[in-house]
Amino acid sequence: MSADVRILAAEPGCHLFGDNGCGFTAPTIGMFFPEPWFANIPGSAGIDLYLVLLLVAVGAVLLLWSWFSRKLSLVPGRRQSVGELLILFIRDNITRPTMGEKGDKFIPFMTGIFSLILAMNFTGLIPGMLPVNSNLAFTVMFALTIYVMTIVIGIKHQGGWGYFRNQIFPPGMPKWIYVLVTPIEILSVFLIRPVTHALRLFATMFAGSLLLAVFAYGGWYMLNLTAEPMLAAVSVFYSGAALLGYIAFFVFEIAIMLIQAFVFTLLASLYLNQSLEAAH
Amino acid sequence: MDIAAITGNINTIGYGISVIGAGIGVGIVFGLGMQAIARQPEARGPLQTNIYLGFALIEALAILGFVLAFAAPGA
Repeated sequence: MSADVRILAAEPGCHLFGDNGCGFTAPTIGMFFPEPWFANIPGSAGIDLYLVLLLVAVGAVLLLWSWFSRKLSLVPGRRQSVGELLILFIRDNITRPTMGEKGDKFIPFMTGIFSLILAMNFTGLIPGMLPVNSNLAFTVMFALTIYVMTIVIGIKHQGGWGYFRNQIFPPGMPKWIYVLVTPIEILSVFLIRPVTHALRLFATMFAGSLLLAVFAYGGWYMLNLTAEPMLAAVSVFYSGAALLGYIAFFVFEIAIMLIQAFVFTLLASLYLNQSLEAAH
Repeated sequence: MDIAAITGNINTIGYGISVIGAGIGVGIVFGLGMQAIARQPEARGPLQTNIYLGFALIEALAILGFVLAFAAPGA
């Protein structure tokens, strides 16, 4: 599941019941910092695994949607129906419940965000690779885009001061309660909201792939066919249990990736809705 | 066994503690959300949105704990 696993596979000595007595070392967060292949590029961290995976994810999304939208017709064929199904899913579950009819112009944007984040999560399902979103830099860029968009659209729809007034002083409250509400709202809307928006996606991907790496790494460590026959049988049993755990968490991880892409898009659309109209 | 001899990073325990509250909170949000949808199935759309909003706000606490477990210098 990671570079650590490949390194471990290359050195055969370290296994359970082995006679050289080396213990199990769990994968560390070092697996999320792959060595860049071309490090000496000015103004950049170099070209590493994340950049390649990002290009793969972007290419996959571009190919998918250009395939869906090729030769569009009024009566959709099978291929076009699947594409329309996805767009209708975004419309009926994300933009319509949060923004209503006036959010329809954001459907293409939300579909793009959703499918790109999903593809960037799914790169973690390729064995030995990482989800692109397990690097904080990428999720921060997504959250920052949404943050700037909410402020720009808010100023456009509610006026410069109007937007900030509606956010900081939510209308329809007794005067004295603003003493309590305003500091909380400033902190929540302009600081905690964008930070958690980025961190949520990052942390779930990070924790998920670390968990999968522990199972892969542990299963390999516990497999020792060169020990005495009795111990070898026990090690195969242990390793099989680790494999079952790996498969179970792999399926769980697919669900988490789908949910997180959905939640990110839903929250983006909620935040944009607060820019389109003041809270009631 | 001497309990002071256990080594490791105490931040992990902090993450475990921070998740207790968030776990209870997420359980309450989804449980009551399901109940609300069961009582008023026609209000599913807005309810679902609010469930996810509440879930996201609560989950932020667990995420802060998770990030601090790695970010804060360990003992």
